[in-house]
Amino acid sequence: MLLEVRDLHVEFRTRDGIAKAVNGVSYAVDAGETLAVLGESGSGKSVTAQAVMGILDSPPGRITGGEVLFQGRDLLTLREDERRRIRGARMAMIFQDALSALNPVLTVGAQLGEMFVVHRGMSAKDARARAVELMDRVRIPAAAQRVRDYPHQFSGGMRQRIMIAMALALEPALIIADEPTTALDVTVQAQVMDLLAELQREYRMGLILITHDLGVVADVADRIAVMYAGRIVESAPVHDIYKAPAHPYTRGLLDSIPRLDQKGRQLYAIKGLPPNLMAIPPGCAFNPRCPMAQDVCRTDVPPLYEVAGDHGGERVSACHFWRECLRDRS
Amino acid sequence: MPEQSHEPEGAIAGTGMGGGMDLATSEAATLEKTPGGPQGTGPAAKPRSLWSDAWLDLRRNPVFVVSALVILFLLVISVRPSLITSGNPLQCELARSQEGARAGHPFGFDGQGCDVYTRTVYGARASVTVGVCATLGVALLGSVLGGLAGFFGGAWDAILSRTTDVFFAIPVVLGGLVLLSVVTSNTVWPVVGFMVLLGWPQISRIARGSVITVKQNDYVQAARALGASNSRILLRHIAPNAVAPVIVVATIALGTYIALEATLSYLGVGLKPPSVSWGIDISAASPYIRNAPHALLWPSGALAVTVLAFIMLGDAVRDALDPKLR
Repeated sequence: MLLEVRDLHVEFRTRDGIAKAVNGVSYAVDAGETLAVLGESGSGKSVTAQAVMGILDSPPGRITGGEVLFQGRDLLTLREDERRRIRGARMAMIFQDALSALNPVLTVGAQLGEMFVVHRGMSAKDARARAVELMDRVRIPAAAQRVRDYPHQFSGGMRQRIMIAMALALEPALIIADEPTTALDVTVQAQVMDLLAELQREYRMGLILITHDLGVVADVADRIAVMYAGRIVESAPVHDIYKAPAHPYTRGLLDSIPRLDQKGRQLYAIKGLPPNLMAIPPGCAFNPRCPMAQDVCRTDVPPLYEVAGDHGGERVSACHFWRECLRDRS
Repeated sequence: MPEQSHEPEGAIAGTGMGGGMDLATSEAATLEKTPGGPQGTGPAAKPRSLWSDAWLDLRRNPVFVVSALVILFLLVISVRPSLITSGNPLQCELARSQEGARAGHPFGFDGQGCDVYTRTVYGARASVTVGVCATLGVALLGSVLGGLAGFFGGAWDAILSRTTDVFFAIPVVLGGLVLLSVVTSNTVWPVVGFMVLLGWPQISRIARGSVITVKQNDYVQAARALGASNSRILLRHIAPNAVAPVIVVATIALGTYIALEATLSYLGVGLKPPSVSWGIDISAASPYIRNAPHALLWPSGALAVTVLAFIMLGDAVRDALDPKLR
């Protein structure tokens, strides 16, 4: 396994109390594999990624338990300077909004080149040449001229390509993309996603794709992990989930995608609000919003049940009634 | 490693051609519609950073042009006063005490019979030296301490913030009277040191706040995620984005330091004769204000114009660097 997160716990200490953002998340990504992490805002998907990268804001954030095994080593036990050498070189991150994730006062060439200066100790001149190559590689037209431009002079899609180029610069083994297409036009979204998927195949990188867009996921992901209130509620190969979700929350997400054959009818929405992370409901965190909830859901936290998948591969669901859920669908 | 990576790149360019070309061209097409786009021709396509943008703004601002010319003139005469006066500020004839303007002595004479024009010209040096040195010292000390506190936060930040509170509680003139009255050296350095001591908390607060704001930007987190060290993040990603408010406040403060030097010299604890300073001249001329108002007016006028020029410059710089504050 390239990356294995085991029972990760993260909490934020705030003035109003302790917010438990991540409560025992486990997932794994292999080389060349794409894992989509799905969930609403506040479900802990980004926080988990930040903990894996080691860029959690602490304080107030704190990792209170678990392991992050990357190429066999537990990152959480490494010293800060060792982690820093891994960041960018062996694991990299693509951010949601490239305009705010690129430094406005530096040219894109300087920022791309920085990767080589920081990690490879290259001279500024060599680094600039590599920056042009990278921009070519993500198909930015006239890269040699545009390397001297500032981020605001690029279109949204081009900027996201530059972000991708930065993350890919040192050919890392793992890329975490935090909603890489959310800030883009729908037409450009597909182009950027295709480029990312193509480069991933090229280098056999592991890709963690954090998103709340189920449309993006279906095309590119191998596996899906659905998060709710800081836990994984369902994890399965992508086709299994789309065919028959084994958790009511996943089913709610799938039912809230607009479809053409639904035209004229009201779009489904999951009732209620995401839970307050300072007061997560007892039992299953989803029970106040769940149409299938029984008494046991309000008292017992469901373990991860093994679900038999159609396509092989590990499949789990954190629902006491996963069998009923599967049956309802098919 | 770097040598090997050339090969997959070639491979990508090859395999990517089919699917890739139309992507690139379709986006290039949308790009061309953007005004000032990179592919656009002509001088408008030249990259503009925050700083070159600000410079363009400044050059078009008459307030900036006027104040900058005044300041340039002051800088020149404080380096080479002999350019515009041939007199010696310390060569005085008591016989000419309080005499009015005459040929060769356009500003007349003061109580000691010194040429007011010469003394006013030479007085610029003390003011400019104190103002510039105090501002540099304050800006350097304040932004380093404030910047580190803002960046690292925690205990270091708490200590610094309380310390600045203590310094803010010290009344400047009273502090000057107490601290500088025990100094015997008659150079500008005790005065500069005093101003740095009392002035740095102002800049450190600004720098701290500015760094905290900039620190929350995604590009700082992105730089960290791509493996940049703390010092690199602070110097290359945060400092250039956080420095604008510090420059603005420091420029405006420069004017007030010049005024403060004159105040302290007037009170007799700043520079002392035989140094030449506007504050000393204002102090010396005030007893004769009814008989020889010119001896008071010229150094006061020079002081007022200088302070005003620096404050206007600060305003213009602020408008250029942060249009939202206008």
